[in-house]
Amino acid sequence: MIYNYLKIAIRNLLKYRFISFINLFGLTVGLTCCLLITTYILHEISYDKFNDQHDRIWRITRSFNNPETGAQSLHLGTIAPPFAPLLKNQFSEIENITRLLSGGSATFRYGDKMFNEEDIYFADEQFFDFFKVNVVKGDPKTALNDPMSVMLTEEVARKYFGDAEPMDKMIRMDNQLTLKVTGVYKPLPSNSHFHPNIMVSFNTLKDSTVYGESNLRTNWSNNSFFTYIKVPHGFSPERLEAKFPAFLDEHMADVGSRFKPSQWTKLHLQKLTDIHLHSHLDYEAEENGDIKRVYIFSAIALFVLLIACINYMNLSTARSALRAREIGVRKVVGARRKEIIAQFLTESVIVCWLAIILAFALTWLLIPYLNQVSGQDLSINILLRWQVMVPLVLVPFVVGIMSGLYPALFMSSFQPVKVLKGMFKVGGGNVSFRKVLVTAQFAISIALIICTTVVYRQMNYMQQKALGFDREHVLSLPYINTLSNSYESFRNELLSNASVLNAGRSSRIPTSRLLDASGTRIMRGDSLAPVSADIKYVVADKDFINTYGVKIVAGRNFSRDFSTDSASFLINEAAARVLGFASAQDAIGKRMGYGGRDGQLVGVFNDFHFESLHQQIVPLVLFIPRNENTYNRISIKISGNNIPAALAHIEKTWKRFLPDVPWQYNFLDESYDRLYQSEQRQGTIFTIFAGIAIFIACLGLFGLSAFTITQRIKEIGIRKVLGASTTRIVTLLSRDFMILVAIAALIAFPIAGTAMYAWLQDFAYRTTMSWWIFPLAGIIALMVALATICFQAVKAALANPVKSLRTE
Amino acid sequence: MIKIKDLEKIYRTEEVETVALNKLSLEVKEGEFVAVMGPSGCGKSTLLNILGLLDDPDGGSFMFNNIEVAHFNERKRADLRKHNIGFVFQSFNLIDELTVFENVELPLIYTGVKSAERKKRVEEVLDKMQIMHRRNHYPQQLSGGQQQRVAVARAVVNRPKLILADEPTGNLDSSNGNEVMQLLTDLNEQGTTIVMVTHSEHDARYSHRIIRMLDGQTVLENIMV
Repeated sequence: MIYNYLKIAIRNLLKYRFISFINLFGLTVGLTCCLLITTYILHEISYDKFNDQHDRIWRITRSFNNPETGAQSLHLGTIAPPFAPLLKNQFSEIENITRLLSGGSATFRYGDKMFNEEDIYFADEQFFDFFKVNVVKGDPKTALNDPMSVMLTEEVARKYFGDAEPMDKMIRMDNQLTLKVTGVYKPLPSNSHFHPNIMVSFNTLKDSTVYGESNLRTNWSNNSFFTYIKVPHGFSPERLEAKFPAFLDEHMADVGSRFKPSQWTKLHLQKLTDIHLHSHLDYEAEENGDIKRVYIFSAIALFVLLIACINYMNLSTARSALRAREIGVRKVVGARRKEIIAQFLTESVIVCWLAIILAFALTWLLIPYLNQVSGQDLSINILLRWQVMVPLVLVPFVVGIMSGLYPALFMSSFQPVKVLKGMFKVGGGNVSFRKVLVTAQFAISIALIICTTVVYRQMNYMQQKALGFDREHVLSLPYINTLSNSYESFRNELLSNASVLNAGRSSRIPTSRLLDASGTRIMRGDSLAPVSADIKYVVADKDFINTYGVKIVAGRNFSRDFSTDSASFLINEAAARVLGFASAQDAIGKRMGYGGRDGQLVGVFNDFHFESLHQQIVPLVLFIPRNENTYNRISIKISGNNIPAALAHIEKTWKRFLPDVPWQYNFLDESYDRLYQSEQRQGTIFTIFAGIAIFIACLGLFGLSAFTITQRIKEIGIRKVLGASTTRIVTLLSRDFMILVAIAALIAFPIAGTAMYAWLQDFAYRTTMSWWIFPLAGIIALMVALATICFQAVKAALANPVKSLRTE
Repeated sequence: MIKIKDLEKIYRTEEVETVALNKLSLEVKEGEFVAVMGPSGCGKSTLLNILGLLDDPDGGSFMFNNIEVAHFNERKRADLRKHNIGFVFQSFNLIDELTVFENVELPLIYTGVKSAERKKRVEEVLDKMQIMHRRNHYPQQLSGGQQQRVAVARAVVNRPKLILADEPTGNLDSSNGNEVMQLLTDLNEQGTTIVMVTHSEHDARYSHRIIRMLDGQTVLENIMV
C-alpha cells in the first residue's frame, strides 16, 4: 500500500513540475530559514553551558541607589575586591569563589616582538575549578598560583614564540612587569560570556606597583572585579541575597557616609547561564545577547514556516481539482476514506522530507554567510545532536501532516459519483478556507514589512541624529601615563602639522558609558550641603570640549589663562537642571563640591550624547584631575583634507615620544558605529528573513492565482465571447485578491504597530512611527500581489476563448 | 441478486427539486445481463450509482444479496462494493499516473490481496483482455478501445458478482465498441451479472432484458431472446 502511495506521489510530483517546484521550493526556503534561526537560537541559549558545573555557578553583582529616593543609579556586573574573601568566610553555602579582573588592553613584548593585546584578565587559581578550559601546557591547578605568572592562548603564544616552547619564557607587560609563561590554553568557545586571551595570575595584583594587597582588602569603591561563587545543588539564591544587607552593614560600616551601606548599595546573584541572555548591566565582560532577540527570531522562524505551510496547503488543495478523478476512481474500486487520507498525507510527508534534506544542505552552505552578516560564530554542528536531530527527523511528519491534513480531508470527502460525472466543482467552503489562509499569509507579510521599515528607520535615525558634538575625523588613542611629564610638548608637536586641529585628554570618550560618580554638594546658606542628585563625572583637560566641538551655552570653557581652573567645574545642561539652577547662566560662578573637590562652576555645555542613544542624557560634570594619570584617552581632531598625512604625522610623533608602546588608534565614528552594530546586524538579518517570508508568500500567491485562473478559464472565455475587454477581465480576476490584501492589512496594522511600539521603547531616543508606514506596507503588499496576479490574469485574458470553450 | 422497491432519489438545490428516481422498483437475478435505456435525465445513471453503492437513496428499499443496504454508511458501502461490484465507465476513468498493470492492480490493493497473488491475477486478467503486451504503458499511450479493455480488466480483477457499466461504448468507435460488448457478454456467460446503461439500441441487443426508463420510472421491459 505504502509503495503504491510513494509511487503515485513521485509520479505526481514529476507530472506537475511547476506546482511541485513552488511547493518544494517554498517549503525548503521556509525550513532553511527555520534551521538557520534554530542554529542561532541554540547557540544563544547554549552560553556557558559547556562548563561542567554551570548550574552551580552564580555571579555576584552590585547595584547603587539613591538612599533617599531608592532609585537605582548603577548596576554593575562586578563588585569590589574585599567582598570575595569576606563572603567566602561568612557564608557556608559558598563552596568556592573566584575573581576575575579585566586588564583591558596592554602591550606585551618578547624579544623584538611587541604587540598590543586585548582581553587580558587577572584570574585567580580557582578559575579552572569554575570554568572548563582546555589547558594544553602547564598545570591548571598551579599555573596561576604565583605572582607574575601568565597563561596565554595558543594563538597568542604562537605570535610571540612561534613554534618554540613558550613555557617558562619571560614576557614583558606594558614595559612594567616581567611575567613567566606558566600555561597555554585553547581559547574559550564562542558561547562563553568572556574570552580571555591572556590570563595573568591574580596574585600579581598584590604587588604594590600593580594594585597592592591593602587595596585588595580595603578598596570598596573599585567595583571592577567579576566574582563567581560555586554553591551546592538545591541552593536558594533568595535566601543568600536576603543575608546580604546585614553583611554589607557589618563589613562596610567604616565607609564614610551618613547612610547605612545597605541603604545605598546592594549585592545580587545572577546565574551563570543567565548572564548572556538576561544580563544587561552597566558593566559586563562583553556585550551580551538578548532574550528578546531570541524571541523575535523565534517568531520570525515560526512565521516563515507557517507561510510555507500555508502555501503547501493552498496549492495542494487547489490542485485537488485536478486529482478529483483519481480519487473518485480509487473510491469506486474500493478505497476507504482513511486510505485516501493516508495517501495524501504520505505525499505531503514525502515533499517535506525532500524539503528538509534540501534545507539541511542549504543551511550548511549558508551558515558562513549568516556568520558574516550577523557577526556570529555559528556552526551547523550545534544541530548535530540527538536533541535536535530527533525532532528534525520528526519535522517532516509534523509539517507534512499539518500542511497535508486539510487537503487530504478535503479531497477524501469527494463524492465519486460527482467527480466522475464531471459535476465536480470546488465547493464554497473550500474556497473561503483558502481565502483565510491567503489572508493570513498577507497579514504576516504586511506586518513584517512594517517591522522592517520601523527597524530601518530607527537605524537611520541613530546614524543621522545630531549628537551635539562632532564625531567626524576624531582619532582616539590610549593615554600612556609616561606621557604626563612631557604632554605639553607632545601636544605642541602634534599641532605643528596643519592637519591636526586639536588634541584633548579625558578619562572617558563619547561612545563609552558614563559610570563614574561621586557625591555632589552645592551652597545652601553659607556652606556646601550634599544634594541627592546623581551626577556622573569625566575628568577632562582644557582642550577636551573644543576637540569635540561641544558648545558652551553659558560661561566659558576651561582655559590656560585661568590657573584656578584646576579646581573649576563644567557641567552640562542636565546637571544644571537637577542642581536647581533657573538657567544655565544662573549656574555660572556658583560654588560647588564634587567628591573631594571644591570649586567654581565656570561653564555650562550643551547636552550632547556622550553615551549611545540607548541611554538618556544624564547629568555630567567635567573637571581637570589633580593626577594626570587618571586620563585614559587622547582624542585628536584632524582635518578631513589629508587624513593619511595627518595619521603619518601623529604616528611619527607617537613613536618619538613613546618608542616602547605600539602605535594604535581608532576613529571615533567607527566606535560610534560599533555602538549600534548589534542593532544594525539585527536589522539586516531581520530584513533578510522578512524578505524571504514575503517572497514565499508571493510564490504561493503566484501558484494559487495560476490555479484560480485555470479554473475560471471557461468563464473568461464566455466573457470574452460576450465582449469583455482584457482590462475588465484582469480587473475581475485581481479584485478578489485585492480584497484579501485589504483585510490582511487591517489585521496586520494593530499587531505590527503594537510590536514595534514595544521595540522602540528600548531606545531612549527614537524615531516616530509615522502613520504613512502603514499604508505604505499595505501598498507594497498590494503591488506585489497585483504584479503576481496580473502576470497570470493577462495571460488568461489574452488567450483565445475558442480554445478554452472547446475543451469540454 | 438485486431487489429494489419504491426507490426514491431527489436532488435538491436551493430553488429546484429534481426527482431523479420516483418510486422505482426493479429486480435483477443472478447471471442476468440487463440494459437500462432512456433519454438523458431519466434517472438511469442515478439508478446505476445507487446500484453501485456510490450514492444512497432517499427512500425505498434496496436488497443486495438479500441484505438491506439502503442505509449503509460510507465505510460499509465501500467494503461491500470492493468485494462484489466492478465498474466500467464511458470515459474509462483510468488513473493517468499509473501504468496499465498498476491500474488493474488497484482494486486488489484495496482488498488487501498479497503482492504475489496480485501479480498472478492481474496478469491473468490482462491476458484474457489481450492487453498483456501493454502492461507497462500509461493510459495516454493507449487507444480508446485499449483503455476500455483495461477498465474492464480492472472491473473484473476482483472477480465481482456484479458489473455495472455506464455507456461503456460511448467513447469508442463501432469496432472497438463491439469488442468491448463481446468482452462483457463473455463475462456474463461465465456467470457475472451485468447491468449496463446505454443509449445504443445496438449495444442493448447484447443483453437479456432491456429496461426503459422515463422520468425516474421504468416504463417498459423488453425481454430479448
